Amino acid sequence: MKPLNYAILKHFTKVKEACAEDVIEALKGEYGSFKALRKPAVIEAIMTGEANGLLEETRFEMGSDGELRVYYRANEEGAATINNYIKD
Amino acid sequence: MNDVSGSANVNAVAAKKKLSSKFFKKGITVAILSGMCYGLYSAFITLGMSNGIWADWYGVNTAALSAFVITYMLGALGSALNDTISAIWCIGIATAKGKMGDFFRTLKTKPGRMMMLAALLGGPIASTAYIVALQMAGSIVIPITALCPAIGAIMARILFKQKLTPRMLLGIAICFGATLMIGGTGFLADAPEGLMLGILIAFIAAFGWGLEGCIAGYGTSMIDYEIGITIRQCTSGLSNLIILVPLMAIMAGNFGLAPSLLIQAVTSSDAMIWFVVSGFFAVFAYSLWYKGNSMCGAALGMACNGAYSFWGPFFCWLILGVVVGQEGWALAPIAWAAAIVMAIGILIISMNPLDLFKKKEA
Repeated sequence: MKPLNYAILKHFTKVKEACAEDVIEALKGEYGSFKALRKPAVIEAIMTGEANGLLEETRFEMGSDGELRVYYRANEEGAATINNYIKD
Repeated sequence: MNDVSGSANVNAVAAKKKLSSKFFKKGITVAILSGMCYGLYSAFITLGMSNGIWADWYGVNTAALSAFVITYMLGALGSALNDTISAIWCIGIATAKGKMGDFFRTLKTKPGRMMMLAALLGGPIASTAYIVALQMAGSIVIPITALCPAIGAIMARILFKQKLTPRMLLGIAICFGATLMIGGTGFLADAPEGLMLGILIAFIAAFGWGLEGCIAGYGTSMIDYEIGITIRQCTSGLSNLIILVPLMAIMAGNFGLAPSLLIQAVTSSDAMIWFVVSGFFAVFAYSLWYKGNSMCGAALGMACNGAYSFWGPFFCWLILGVVVGQEGWALAPIAWAAAIVMAIGILIISMNPLDLFKKKEA
């Protein structure tokens, strides 16, 4: 089991793109009991990854529930950095 | 249909702008708070080291401690106590937030080891240098240690090939100019003995923290900042207590001094109460520094944190001078002016000031 922040970043190396809700959905099996697996904390972790060049925004939309969904991806360089520092 | 989707699009753009703006503002707030907590930590650790058994060690000295022990070993002991108590606060916070499992898991990873290296640079080396310098030359050393963003920029150029522009070099020159202004003040005023050595030792602290900012800033983009600070304070506190303090005792020619002084310090409740407070503020001084750097970029984060060149002398004056009534904490006007010049220099190194206005327009 990896630290939650690592798992959040690592998720982006395995999918084409994802938003915070997708990440929570993908990780809730293993990390469901973690207090930090909540939308605001996950959004902050993703945006921090973006601020440091690990992730980049791809698009955004309003969901049917009226909530904003911002999608991100790890580009080649970002994914390489994540994989270099965070091993499976 | 077009109207509906157009309206949804407008809403999405507005919500996205709000989210980005909120994140940016939170980053700046966090970074500014880190500088204020740094000033509070400085004031309370100095208060701790002037009360209880410390008042005797630095004053009457009934234990007949040597000059080496008083100048260097007590500085290391103060830093060790502060960081260890801070580590206990960190573990308490991490436990309350359910992050201790991730703390142990992170220790074994590459970013975790990077954080430990940063802790060793910023902890045993820089913190001790800072406290020794503070004891030798007073709060005048605080703006000097605020040169760490400048040093961080240079080290980032060397280690991580980050850019170093003419604007940054201009800022570095301004900071050095401000340092000379402060040095001059010390000579003109009633300069304490060991002022110049204290200032030189303060530069060691600036180097340690500059490197720490480089390395830990990179690590915090992957590690949760509350886990990062727990690693930092545990590494720093334990290495100070187990390695640095005994090493200094051996250098002083009496290994037994290490446990003896530690026990006396820990059982001096008049001083310990202030170390509990300083350790608490140290948690946020460093964790918010890392978080600010990772949220709004190291450049802007370090610029906002660098405002501790104001907050350090300000809180030392307010808490030690005004509240407690100790003498000698008022700074000469030129030192305040130099602190402002230095803060401007730090800002210019860390970012293009014009970007502040551009951000406002965005």
